[in-house]
Amino acid sequence: MSAGGAPFIGANTGLTLAAGALFGATAGIVGTFALARRRSLLADVAAHASLPGVCLAFLAGEALGFGGRNPLLLLAGATLTALLATWSVPRLARLRGVGPDGAIAVSLSFFFGLGAVLLSDIQTHDSGAQGGIDHLLFGNAAATTRADLATMASIAFACTILVTLFFKELAALCFDEQHAAVLGIAVRPFDLLLLGLLVATVVAGMQMAGIVLVVAMIIAPAAAARAVRGSLTRVTAVAGTIGAVAAATGVLVSRSMDSMPTGSAMTLVAATIFIASLLAAPWRRQGSSA
Amino acid sequence: MNPAATSDLLRELMQFDLPVLASALLALVACATMGNWLVLRKESMTGDAIAHAVLPGIVAGFLISGRHSMPAMFLGAAIAGALAIVLANLVQRRTRLEAGAGLGIVFSAFFALGVALLETQGARQVDLDPGCVLFGSLETLFLAPPPGGRWYEGIAHETWVLAAAALMVVGLSVLFAKELAALCFDREHARTTGIAPRTLEPAMLFVTSLAIVASFEAVGSLLVIALLACPSLIAAPHANSLRARFAISLAVGGLLTVGGYMLAAHAPAVLGTDASLNAAGMISTVLAAAVPLSFAIARWTRRPVSRPAA
Repeated sequence: MSAGGAPFIGANTGLTLAAGALFGATAGIVGTFALARRRSLLADVAAHASLPGVCLAFLAGEALGFGGRNPLLLLAGATLTALLATWSVPRLARLRGVGPDGAIAVSLSFFFGLGAVLLSDIQTHDSGAQGGIDHLLFGNAAATTRADLATMASIAFACTILVTLFFKELAALCFDEQHAAVLGIAVRPFDLLLLGLLVATVVAGMQMAGIVLVVAMIIAPAAAARAVRGSLTRVTAVAGTIGAVAAATGVLVSRSMDSMPTGSAMTLVAATIFIASLLAAPWRRQGSSA
Repeated sequence: MNPAATSDLLRELMQFDLPVLASALLALVACATMGNWLVLRKESMTGDAIAHAVLPGIVAGFLISGRHSMPAMFLGAAIAGALAIVLANLVQRRTRLEAGAGLGIVFSAFFALGVALLETQGARQVDLDPGCVLFGSLETLFLAPPPGGRWYEGIAHETWVLAAAALMVVGLSVLFAKELAALCFDREHARTTGIAPRTLEPAMLFVTSLAIVASFEAVGSLLVIALLACPSLIAAPHANSLRARFAISLAVGGLLTVGGYMLAAHAPAVLGTDASLNAAGMISTVLAAAVPLSFAIARWTRRPVSRPAA
């Protein structure tokens, strides 16, 4: 338990819960499309590849003299290397004998390996200055600040607006590419939009779910929402809700258990909801088809 | 250089660099050999999944046996790995999600459970921490002989386990080369010639898991994933037989492993800082960077030669 005698739901818990729920909702909404477009493992690569970017931004911040822990600089670094990794995967996959699986393994090994090297360098710096960069691996929601919440809210808002604006195009792209072609929707710009949304989500999730486990929050709520029958709008909304509930529950669980990383707690809650949906789905399908 | 300094350097090499390099190379032999079979079957993701899924089993083995017990660790890891693969298959069949998504949920959940166990239960009992689960503890595998003991008494237990795993993987790959090759290239043909894929495939996954668990503690999950996929892919554009593929992947992989370790251990000193860089991360970066490079070299060296019509 944290500070002795502190009320369980303090101001800081409220802040953390809000940031967690916002992240979970974004992950669920973006995940619905990423899952349908078969981009879930690309999200995993993007997440792992944000580590070297964060470390480079930290080192750059230190070298330029405004301290390593500048949130915007860290986000920019993470976004840059995550985008580089997602750019590299299809190019590697095109090489003969590599294929999508091999491309993902190679890209992840390169970027996450580089991150490990840079992180080990940062860890030899003054312990006061490194500011918990290593907490980004498995998430540490307790470190959420007011500025983090503001960043999280802006990213969540931007992602939701973009998904709402281009809902028809994204739906066509992810669920029926031929239909998209008939409607005259160009595939490439919306593929890039989806990629941008994914990278924004994993980068926003570093603090909450952690680099290593954030992919689970993209896949699991969206996969669980598939048990719901109805329009895509409804499925997306359900995925967002499941994501928000799983993330908020994860924040509470990690708060109540000594030294439980937030990412582990969120992932386990989301996986449990997914398993429950699996158990419920076939029974429901039978009922509705009768 | 005076003789005293030379002998100091030699002693340092013998005590620190060589044992750590030996462990890294044994992990390479164990993982890259199995990795060649996996890559040929387009199953690199399976190795990735196993490398994550075994963690809760390893931690549970530690916690239940209450000490650093190899059999408990292997048993736990085997159960966790098998359970994860069965679950991922079940998820995929029930939901018709893409294979990657099913694997992704299952191995993330298993890894999350392992990290949670490690952080909440294991802090006092387990000499593993989440950092070394990911990035290994190669640097700690130097020779530490007991006072007055012989040098080989100082070899870390992780190194012995790696040696056993490497021996087993190479032995089985040589013994069953024909059957495994048939599984990689023509599963249907394998079935009609009396090789039972239904027995051999789970056996192959089991041996892969053993190689992964043996390497896990020493090199971490990141380098396990890199060692499974990268050496085989480095060899891919240059090998025109199975034998050449294994030979090139192990030889070039070995050179790059030594190079990566040397970069991590000695480059900072050459550059004049006293930082020590993570060896597993550096080796994995070097191996991964070599994959596109190897393809570029193959394209470049073949260009002048006119290829015969297919």
